[in-house]
Formats: sequence, C-alpha cells, structure tokens
Amino acid sequence: MSVLFNQDAIDEIEKNKDEWNRTYPHEKERDTVFETLSGIPVEPLYTPEHTADLDYLHDLGFPGKPPYVRGVHPTMYRGRTWTMRQLAGFGPAEETNRRYKLLLKEGATGINGIFDYPTLRGYDSTDPLAYADCGRGGVAIDTLEDMRILFDGIALDKVSSSLVTCQPVCNITVQSMYFANAKNRGVPLNKLIGTSQNDFLMETCMATAPGVLPPEASFKLSCDAIEYCARYAQRWNPISFAGYNYRETGCTADQEIAFVMANAIACCEELIGRGLDVDSFAPRLSFFLNCHNDFFEEIAKCRAARRIWYKIMDERFRAKNPRSKTFRFHVQTAGVALTAQQPLNNIARSAYHALAAVMGGAQSVHIDAYDEALCIPTELSALTALRSNQILQLETRVTQTIDPLGGSYFVESLTNELEKKIVTLLDEVDQLGGIVKVTETGWIHKKIADSSYEYQQAIETGKMPIVGVNCYRIEDEVLPIELFEVPETLQIQEERLNRVKKERNYLEVQRALDAISRCCDEDKNLMEVIVESVQAFVTEGEITSVLKSNYGTWNPPLF
Amino acid sequence: MRRKGKKRILIAKPGLDGHDRGAKVVARALRNAGMEVIYMGLHQTPLQIVNTAIDEDVDAVGLSILSGAHKTIFPKIMVLLKEKGVSDMLVFGGGTIPKKDWEGLKKIGVGKIFTPGSDTQEIVDYLNEVIEG
Repeated sequence: MSVLFNQDAIDEIEKNKDEWNRTYPHEKERDTVFETLSGIPVEPLYTPEHTADLDYLHDLGFPGKPPYVRGVHPTMYRGRTWTMRQLAGFGPAEETNRRYKLLLKEGATGINGIFDYPTLRGYDSTDPLAYADCGRGGVAIDTLEDMRILFDGIALDKVSSSLVTCQPVCNITVQSMYFANAKNRGVPLNKLIGTSQNDFLMETCMATAPGVLPPEASFKLSCDAIEYCARYAQRWNPISFAGYNYRETGCTADQEIAFVMANAIACCEELIGRGLDVDSFAPRLSFFLNCHNDFFEEIAKCRAARRIWYKIMDERFRAKNPRSKTFRFHVQTAGVALTAQQPLNNIARSAYHALAAVMGGAQSVHIDAYDEALCIPTELSALTALRSNQILQLETRVTQTIDPLGGSYFVESLTNELEKKIVTLLDEVDQLGGIVKVTETGWIHKKIADSSYEYQQAIETGKMPIVGVNCYRIEDEVLPIELFEVPETLQIQEERLNRVKKERNYLEVQRALDAISRCCDEDKNLMEVIVESVQAFVTEGEITSVLKSNYGTWNPPLF
Repeated sequence: MRRKGKKRILIAKPGLDGHDRGAKVVARALRNAGMEVIYMGLHQTPLQIVNTAIDEDVDAVGLSILSGAHKTIFPKIMVLLKEKGVSDMLVFGGGTIPKKDWEGLKKIGVGKIFTPGSDTQEIVDYLNEVIEG
C-alpha cells in the first residue's frame, strides 16, 4: 500500500481537527450554501484525512501512467503546451478562410471550424427552411467547392483542423468533403490531422428539432465515420464526444461526464460488434468538455474523467494500447456563463474558465470571445480571446509543473466525490439500456431540462450571483462594444450552388445518390460511399434527403 | 372555446439554430406561472408558426432567436399575420437580439425583446400586463 499518510499520523490529525472544528465559529459564516455548482457540499477546510484512503500509485499514478489522473502525457505542458484552437466560422467560405488565416498568423496552433445552422442540420443554403440562417453561427458549406475555398492555402497535413460538425447527419457529408478535398490536393488520408465532432446526441437530444434522423440512425452514421477513420485515416479523431454542448444545454458537471462516457461506451460496443479490435479505434476517441464557473469542480471533473475512462477501457473493454485508455480532451470556456450585460466582464470570466481547463490538464483550449452572448466574435474580440490564451500560456508560468493541484486535500477529495457521482449516473444509464435507449425514451431530455431549469432558478432567486445580471447591474447600460454583422451570404451561396449544379454531370450525381441509397439498404458503411459521392458535387442537402428517406425521421420528446 | 383567465402562449424557435435552452426554460416558467404554453420547438418556418398561432388561438407568440436572423424572421411573421387578418396577437421575442435593432422591430409591431440574462419573472409580468385577462 502506498497510502499518502500512515494511520497514526491520520489519527493524530483527526484528533486535532475535531478540536479545531469545535472552536470553528460556524455562526460567523456567510449566509449561503457552501456547495459546488453540481451540488456537492463543500467543507470549510480539507485536511489529510480527506485523502487518507488514496493509494497513490493505484489512484493517481504518474503523468502518462495509469490511471492518468495526473495527466495523459509524461511531460504534459513541459513538453508540449496545449493547442490554442479558437473557434471560427461565419458567412461564405472565403470570409472564414480569411479568419482562419488571421488566427493562424497571430499564433493560433490549430483550426477550429464551426459551420452555419443549415450545414449543421444537413440543409443546403437555398432550402426554404435555411434561407434566414445561411452564414449564421458558422460558415456555409453546400458542396465540395465550398470546402475547397474554405481550406485554400492551408496545409492539411501540417495544420490540425477540428471540424465542429456536431451532428452526424452533417458530419458524414462535411467530413467526407474535407477528406475528398484532401485527396484532390494529393494529401493522403493517413496524413490528415484533426478531429470531427460527430456526436449523435447533438442531433437527437441537445437541440431538439422535429424531423431529425432517429437516434439509432444518427448513432450509426457516427460509428461509420469512426470505422472509416480506423481503416483509412488513423491520425484523425473521428469523434469528439461533445460534453461541452451537453453542459451548454443544461447538464451539471457530473452529467456532462457521465453522458460522454455513456456515449463512448455505446460506440465501443457497436464497433466491437462490427468486428473491430478495440485498440484499432479507441486511441482516436476524443472528448470535448466545458469549463464553467466553479473553478475547483471543473478541475476535479477533468481529473475524475481520466480515472473513469481508464477504468472503463481497462476493465470493461480490456484495451491493450495505453492510448486507448487515455482521456484526451479539448475545452471550450462556458458560453452559457457569458453575460450580455457588461460584456467586457466576460474576458475575466473566460480567463478563469481557461485556467481551470489547464489545471485540469486539457490538450487544447478555446477561450470564448467577450461578445459571444450578443453576436459572433468580431476580429477584435476573437483576437483578444486568442491573446488571453497566449497570456495564460506564456506569462502565468502555470505550465511549469505537471498537475500542480494534485495532492491538494480539497481537489483530491472533490475528484473522488465527482467520480462517485458520475459512476452512479453512468450505472443508471447502463441499467436503463444505454445511451441510445435513454435518448429514444426521452429520459435524458428530461434530466437535462430539469437541470437547466434549476440553474435558471438559482440565478433568479439570487442563490447564484452573476455579476451584471442579478447583482451589480448597470441600469440603462450603453453597450461598450461594436457588434459583428454577418456578411451577406445567401446570395453568394445561391450563385455558387447554381453554378456548381449547372457544371456538374447529372448522371454522375444520380449514380452517387443511388449508391448512397443502396448503401443504406445494405446497411454498409456510408462514409465509404459518401467520400466518393461528394466528388461528383452532390450537395449536402441531397445527401440528407436520401438519408432521411431511407431512415425516416424522428421527433424528439419536448420537455 | 376560450378558457377564461388562462393565458395561452405559443413559444417557437424559427429557423435551424439549435440553441433552445432559453426557449425551454421560458416555456416552463410560463407554465409554472399558470399560463398555457404550446411549445413548438425548433425548425419552424414563419408560416408554420403563424398557422399554429391561429389554430391554437393564442394570446401571444414568443419567438426565440439566437442566430442573428431576427431581422428576417420577425418582419415575415408580422406580414403573414396581417395577411391572415390577425391584428391583436402579441408577438414578442428573446435571444441575442441587439438593442440597436429593437426600434426597427417595434416599428413593425413587435413587442418586448428579452435578451440573455433576463429574469423569467420579467417575462411573466410583461405578459400579465400586456395581455388582458
């Protein structure tokens, strides 16, 4: 046993603690409930007995060694600092291409590309449902031609690109376009570095819209992309379980982790069921987390997640490759914690969130821009967010030692508490039949809606102070910043789409769409076919129509 | 048949934007305040919204927009309502709708806009005040 303290020392400390507790003036405490954002009680003081049961080698280990609580790499930030991956995307492809290049020139170390609402939902820009949202919230992609323009002049084998193709219905086409574009540029697929989001809960649970693909179909598309990459693009992370968005939708910290784990477990089971060896795809499963207001809880959450993932992969799936057992994650600072009021305050907020991410051992970090509760980032706000990231990395010296809060009585205790809470919830999902099942039944929708309502109540009752919102408000505030206006996009997309449609070979298009339809019938891997299909300039909307006519549509439960 | 005293509110999210946390929270808060809420969810076209509003005979329509498409959506809804001869239905909004656009929306007959950080009680109070019981 390599426990942190010997029993005699613990007993002695406990005795003294009791004494201290007796004299602690509880009545002088502020009138508030001391607990984490997810509701774990927080004590006035943490001492060695809180961590007395920790077995150092078994429960914490060394960086790069099981159970990876202290970090997934041996050197962590002493070797390589986190990737600064600032989210960007708006308007037509040429505008976003310029923004990518600006961020890279100013020191961003990876691309993080978001797509507009129609693209995320699988519609063409010209669809009657889409016209008002074209170019909004991200860049518009309809065909391979847009993808060519989007990455023009960016080295696909050198710059890692994260494609925020949240929903599998979007990912299966847009990732295929990225891959097809690489092929056209002569870059082999196994040289591509990047990530696609590709999370079926994004389609079926986080943004509940009628007429989406049913959970099972969406989940299948997600697994198709993972399987495809395991075969052809081994450096690509084909899924990034989007705990970030679960949190933005309303989840608490423990729900965020439990649901990403449940999703990842389902993917492992499905792919093993397809005959794949767990170590052929698991090293490339990646995660996307939120860092929110509760500083220590967020740090503990990241540390607990590493331990839980290690145990799942080691015990449940018997993975052999150490990389299959390491929980690697990107963090975005909490958008939902930003305020529209006094927006410059968000610079401070997001910096704390990012500090938590780094204390939690994140592999890459996006810091939100201060205007994100109001509009998509301007050049100035995007650059300021990147600078916050650089200041954290270069000036604060937090990168000098690995897992600096490891061994903190409080942080270790909170890590344990969160682990317990997450595992309990994960067991519940298991007992209910797994993540696809609890999505179909609406169990998960209800859980999340309840949490988000409680959160709102906590703000409105003043239980949770938010500066500028329920305290320290400025009445009749004049907005101190310029807001971003999305450039006219629909016309550009319409013209381009019409031109592409005129120039493409319609017979080829028809053949490609037939092939996709046949592939659905035969229940084969769709990505195999779609990477080829998009070369014929089939549009995203056309592919979605084929998928929906084959798999039907689904209306998620509303709560 | 009109239910006496109980306000009937339609909450919808036009367009393809997926940020529905706010709309759902507002729907629940209005329900808890004793109103009847019809929550349409996402992906609604202006025509679908207007038709449902008329079919359900609601007192007010609340539109949640976080995509920046408010300058396209609101005018469309107002025109459709007028075309269908509806003049007494309150249309109000929520989401990331900058203050500088409020005046333009007001001119075409849109009611109050609630931005992120608004208290749900404010919305309840507003509806109670504007809609006759």
